[in-house]
Amino acid sequence: MPLTLASIGIPATIQHIGGKEKIRHHLESLGFTQGQAVIPISRIGGNLIVRIRDMRVAISQEMACYILIEEEESR
Amino acid sequence: MPITLALAGNPNCGKTTLFNALTGSTQHVGNWPGVTVEKKEGSLKGKRDVTLVDLPGIYSLSPYSPEERVSRTFLLNNNAGAVISIVDASNLERNLLLTTQLLELGIPIVVALNMMDVVEKNGGHIDAAALSRRIGCPVVPISALKGKGLKELGDTALSAAKGGIAPPPLAFDGEVETALQTIQGLIHGLVAPARERWVAIKLFERDEDILSQTALDPQQREVLANTIAACESSLDDDAVSLITDQRYRAIAHLTEGCIARAQGRPSISDSIDKVVTNRYLALPIFAVIMFLVYFLSVTTIGSMATDWVNDSLFGEFLPGALTGWLESIHCADWLISLLVDGILAGIGAVLGFLPQMLVLFFLLAVLEDSGYMARIAFILDRLFRRFGLSGKSFIPMLIGTGCGVPGIMASRTIESPADRRMTVMTTTFIPCSAKLPIIALIAGALFGGAWWVAPSAYFVGIAAIILSGILLKKTKLFAGEAAPFVMELPAYHLPGLKGVLVHMWERGKSFVKKAGTIIFLASGLVWLLSSFNWRFEMVEETQSMLADIGGVIAPLFAPLGFGDWRAAVAMVTGLVAKENVVSTFGILYGFAEVAEDGAEIWANLQAAFSPLAAYGFLVFNLLCAPCFAAIGAMKREFGSARWTLFAVGYQTGLAYTTSFCIYQLGTWISGGGFGLGTAASLVVLAGFLYLLLRPARRTPQSLATT
Repeated sequence: MPLTLASIGIPATIQHIGGKEKIRHHLESLGFTQGQAVIPISRIGGNLIVRIRDMRVAISQEMACYILIEEEESR
Repeated sequence: MPITLALAGNPNCGKTTLFNALTGSTQHVGNWPGVTVEKKEGSLKGKRDVTLVDLPGIYSLSPYSPEERVSRTFLLNNNAGAVISIVDASNLERNLLLTTQLLELGIPIVVALNMMDVVEKNGGHIDAAALSRRIGCPVVPISALKGKGLKELGDTALSAAKGGIAPPPLAFDGEVETALQTIQGLIHGLVAPARERWVAIKLFERDEDILSQTALDPQQREVLANTIAACESSLDDDAVSLITDQRYRAIAHLTEGCIARAQGRPSISDSIDKVVTNRYLALPIFAVIMFLVYFLSVTTIGSMATDWVNDSLFGEFLPGALTGWLESIHCADWLISLLVDGILAGIGAVLGFLPQMLVLFFLLAVLEDSGYMARIAFILDRLFRRFGLSGKSFIPMLIGTGCGVPGIMASRTIESPADRRMTVMTTTFIPCSAKLPIIALIAGALFGGAWWVAPSAYFVGIAAIILSGILLKKTKLFAGEAAPFVMELPAYHLPGLKGVLVHMWERGKSFVKKAGTIIFLASGLVWLLSSFNWRFEMVEETQSMLADIGGVIAPLFAPLGFGDWRAAVAMVTGLVAKENVVSTFGILYGFAEVAEDGAEIWANLQAAFSPLAAYGFLVFNLLCAPCFAAIGAMKREFGSARWTLFAVGYQTGLAYTTSFCIYQLGTWISGGGFGLGTAASLVVLAGFLYLLLRPARRTPQSLATT
């Protein structure tokens, strides 16, 4: 499912990144790659803050739509 | 032998802190990505012949934003002796992505592992020696903030530059490596051997710049195209992503066994973010913080000090003492007048506001240092998006509250050219510190120091930005979606008192310097023109040259309620520097007439302006064309005189019409009768509303992306 729908605080794994090439490549150089673990921290009006590779990244709804994730089984 | 060392790294990983520590300079440092947008040079402490270049922060060498282009061009074209690749040790893998690209440039590299103290404090560990062996270049652990490991870093970088040995580029694996080998075969002999790997990778990534610089014949081009296409279809991904993926794999391999991570406990930053970016609390918290910044600097602490400086120091003490002393040495009357009524009155009127500015600078430095800045961009993104701007536009505006020039430059972190232009155009609507004296003067003189005047000036600025956003987005020039937002959020940290004070001092110093030069000269000139007539006879102000000159422009402003020649002159001098508006008032309304009451100017102003006209005057000065320095910065960012003219015209037009409506409608509502002006202002207002509310243009481009 797209990252926009992710539940806050539940760890997830990035399955696929879509969208225009230029934006996808920028996301990749920021550390958003397939198989990477990501935890949503906070959401405001559709925009998200996620924790990825030991850092926090703010990402807009438009971009988060392109990132498909799978949530880990809630324990 | 002169040597150049370059400093490259991700945004906000401490490059400028390291640069300052190594060179002893005091370049602007902030806790948000994108503080450095232009490269800066300095010489290494104790080694005059070694130049250190601080490059803007970048995530990769494939140009996505203007800063990336600046850094890349420098690294490719200016044979740096060595590159210091500074990486944030607390986020090693992502930071090393850039390092893997630097390794391919054929330049000696030294990796500086910054923030090692933070990693160790959290219980983590990085084996620098093992990492160095695997990467094949020196790795020096440092703490730029605490000054640890800097001597060793400098020495290592120098000997690397003298040795001139570039590290081996990383080898990739599988089909990507095979394809790269094929391309390297193609270009062998066409490019410098040291750059072969870099060019091959960039050709694989279909980098237009590199392709046009490489002399491949049509047949070779075809082989290149086929090689890339075959690899892409076989691995089912595009070339750039394939390379990035290979880099991350190589990094995972490099760091394996070298890092012991701290056990993950929720960090303080995450907890703070839960509150300040909470969906209900975020906007109120932001509004309260901004209100406090303006309230504290203009109304409370700042104004207590300013009152003393204005009333006592420049109001009574200095003019009295100076006049007395000049008279005692039998100085010529005209000279006494120049010094006391001209220069002292002009500079004094401005310097009086220094305490208020210092409080503002202090609070801004705290905001910048704490890490809250990047959050503001995030919080406001949804809101700004509705007005066609991205949240990143807010950072230039917040910097602009200090000074418009760096504010306009900060717009460079915005990726989309349309957004960037719009931000450049609207940034100066936010009152900068030089407009603060105007606000304080009007608030004090006409509104009895009412608490709401200063914050309202700030919100008028925001409203002008938002309305301009909506209005301009609907024109052909700016149509299109705002660029999607993605930004790394720095960890919060408690601002260091020293850093904040240095910040405040640097800005305060440049203000005082301005008072000593530009404002000094302008004050002298205003005094000269206001004291003499065209035959150079000393006369009353009302018969002076300035009164004639001002009288020509003044009628233009009569419909706004301030058609007084003094106000017109003040606005024109404001183009040189906004502080001049107040200094000109100081001279023309007789600030230094050594009255018993230092606030004489206030009484004179009250006689000349109605509160309504004064508020219109304030709004006009907030929104109209900024000072020449800011117009120059705008021209640099637009790179075009036509755009600059358009922007300045728009700003001044908006200022005029807004001020016109405030005065005319205000007069009507407060029972001043319905006149021609009222009718005209209603027409203007209706036109403005039409431009705001008409349906947006749908361009083919925006249709395609929805």
